[in-house]
Amino acid sequence: MYVILRIIIGSIFLVSSLGKLLSPYQNFLYVIQAYQLLPSRGEVLTAQVFPWIELIVGVFVLLGLWTPWALRGALVLFGVFVVVVGQALIRALPLESCGCFGEWIHLKPQVVIIMDSLSLLLTFVMLRNLSSVKKFSLDLLFDHV
Amino acid sequence: MNKFISTLLILFVLGGLVVGAKFFLTPKNVGINVQEERAKGNPNAKVKIVEFVDFQCPACAYGITYLKKFFDQHPNDLYIQVKYFPLTNMHRHAMISALYSECAARQGKFWALDDLMIPQQSQWEQLISPEPVFQSMATQVGINVDQLNTCLASDDARKVINDEKSLGQSLGIASTPTYFINNKMVVGTKSLQDELKTYFPGS
Repeated sequence: MYVILRIIIGSIFLVSSLGKLLSPYQNFLYVIQAYQLLPSRGEVLTAQVFPWIELIVGVFVLLGLWTPWALRGALVLFGVFVVVVGQALIRALPLESCGCFGEWIHLKPQVVIIMDSLSLLLTFVMLRNLSSVKKFSLDLLFDHV
Repeated sequence: MNKFISTLLILFVLGGLVVGAKFFLTPKNVGINVQEERAKGNPNAKVKIVEFVDFQCPACAYGITYLKKFFDQHPNDLYIQVKYFPLTNMHRHAMISALYSECAARQGKFWALDDLMIPQQSQWEQLISPEPVFQSMATQVGINVDQLNTCLASDDARKVINDEKSLGQSLGIASTPTYFINNKMVVGTKSLQDELKTYFPGS
């Protein structure tokens, strides 16, 4: 069960990052601007760097490589998503879609905050059960070599 | 194989795959044909802007209004042309408003109709059918109504709009308004303002 969870969490980040990375970064920049949180330079930097972080975390979680660190990374990312989307909902910002998956999947902020909170909780549970999470992982393979 | 080396190898392959995919998916040059009837300004201006818009999109209305004011301040330094990108899955009047604009353009009245249509967007977007309002606007700006109706009924105007939307999609456009300022892609009015400041410091 934990292995399936690991694959689901890793896949969420993988799909989310590729949806942004394979499109011009300006499209994700437009999404970030809608959250009205950062100064202009910070928005541009985030639009260019953030999808790569998601990609690395996603692939590492999926493959089970450096699993404890990858899961901690996932935990931080989900925490960031919850805070960012939460503040947008509190401020009643006019967001039609969360923009989390680039242009591939459109989810309302109200839906995505529930998904992110649930994922945050599941990632925390996975971190508490690392030995089960590491089944069929590259970490296990390397540890046995 | 050592875990660190394997990790580096995975990162290298991953990065290569994404950069490679981006390289093949990103258009190498913005091959946009100029439609004179939807362009204004100085064709030799230092700043050339192509805007892809949906006439029912509120952000586009804001962008068009902003750009109109900016153009009035710098008429000789800008060349602006409009392309259609109707978001028909989000805005029910996106296609019909684009059709009226295209048919107005064919009578040389694109900008005149635009000047009426955009400020009243919040009113006509709420109507079940905005066509009576558009017809009235067309009459106000001196459009020949018979020619207009023939154009609206033809497939040709719709084809132009769909072709421009396809062009936009091939350029990676996902939202409106999207601008190409001297071929650099810029999405949204905030980025448009930031980019224009680089060409016109202090404005």
